[in-house]
Amino acid sequence: MLSEKTIAGLFFIENRMATFELYRRSTIGMCLTETLDEMVSSGVLGPEFAIQVLVQFDKSMAEALDNQVKTKVSIKGHLHTYRFCDNVWTFILQDALFKYDECQENVGRVKIVACDSKLLVQ
Amino acid sequence: MADQVLEGSQPVDLSKHPSGIVPTLQNIVSTVNLDCKLDLKAIALQARNAEYNPKRFAAVIMRIREPKTTALIFASGKMVCTGAKSEQQSKLAARKYARIIQKLGFPAKFKDFKIQNIVGSCDVKFPIRLEGLAYSHGAFSSYEPELFPGLIYRMKQPKIVLLIFVSGKIVLTGAKVRDETYTAFENIYPVLTEFRKNQQCKHMATHFVKAAFILPFLITNTKCVVLLQILDMDEVVFYGDEI
Repeated sequence: MLSEKTIAGLFFIENRMATFELYRRSTIGMCLTETLDEMVSSGVLGPEFAIQVLVQFDKSMAEALDNQVKTKVSIKGHLHTYRFCDNVWTFILQDALFKYDECQENVGRVKIVACDSKLLVQ
Repeated sequence: MADQVLEGSQPVDLSKHPSGIVPTLQNIVSTVNLDCKLDLKAIALQARNAEYNPKRFAAVIMRIREPKTTALIFASGKMVCTGAKSEQQSKLAARKYARIIQKLGFPAKFKDFKIQNIVGSCDVKFPIRLEGLAYSHGAFSSYEPELFPGLIYRMKQPKIVLLIFVSGKIVLTGAKVRDETYTAFENIYPVLTEFRKNQQCKHMATHFVKAAFILPFLITNTKCVVLLQILDMDEVVFYGDEI
């Protein structure tokens, strides 16, 4: 019931503000989805309400990342593959170096999925 | 770079290139018909290194690393391959793109492969008086330094367009076969030597322009201003960046 749609599927809510669903695949998003699934199957929560919670999650994630996170991260690596389709950029990097604040970390293979937030402002 | 080393190490065939300079091929554009309708969205979703933004452009833009090229793939099955450095590389790249399309499940063929354009460039290693050249070859030349710093020379036989820069750098475009590029260059070379810029002028110009840049507000005496006014536009454009 709460299975994800396309990663960047647009979801319109009452106030006509659209959201991206891509953060549902994050650890926190997956945990929320699992919990809501459990609550729905045990009858604690109605399915429509669970969906409303997820939509609020999409909105809150976008807002939080936009307004509350000041950290700048730089990602540098070899571009193995890129794709642009349906207004979504996908990049696969090899031997990427993540730098933020004072720390840095090497990652062998990274997939970056990016949507244009301007598309949300209608 | 590799081409230049090659040029240096291999003796140039002077019967074919009397100038002793062989233009380097920089870009080849070719087309081919894959002869089947294509679902561009399916291609963009499945293939790597593809871009598809139908709002902007009605083709998938795909790239491969070897030969380093870009292809435009249209829903009609027509394809344009750009960026190769030789005719063979262009054909090889086009074949590779066709193979990728086949692997995605389309019955792609390889019909009517054709080289559409060849771009070459070279350096005659002496400065050129573009104004003089434009004046004496008025029927073929267009020189508007305020719009573009190069002289555009539309040669009739072979039908090639040359961009000639004060620096002596030349770009030749419009060829379907590389010999047209070579012939066009051999045709223009004597003209370029005829309009070779006097080195004496270069040094004088450099000094004047230097003065103009270093002391833009201090030059008030009439002599300097007059000297600057008699400068050829060519010199100002070309030697400006040396300072």
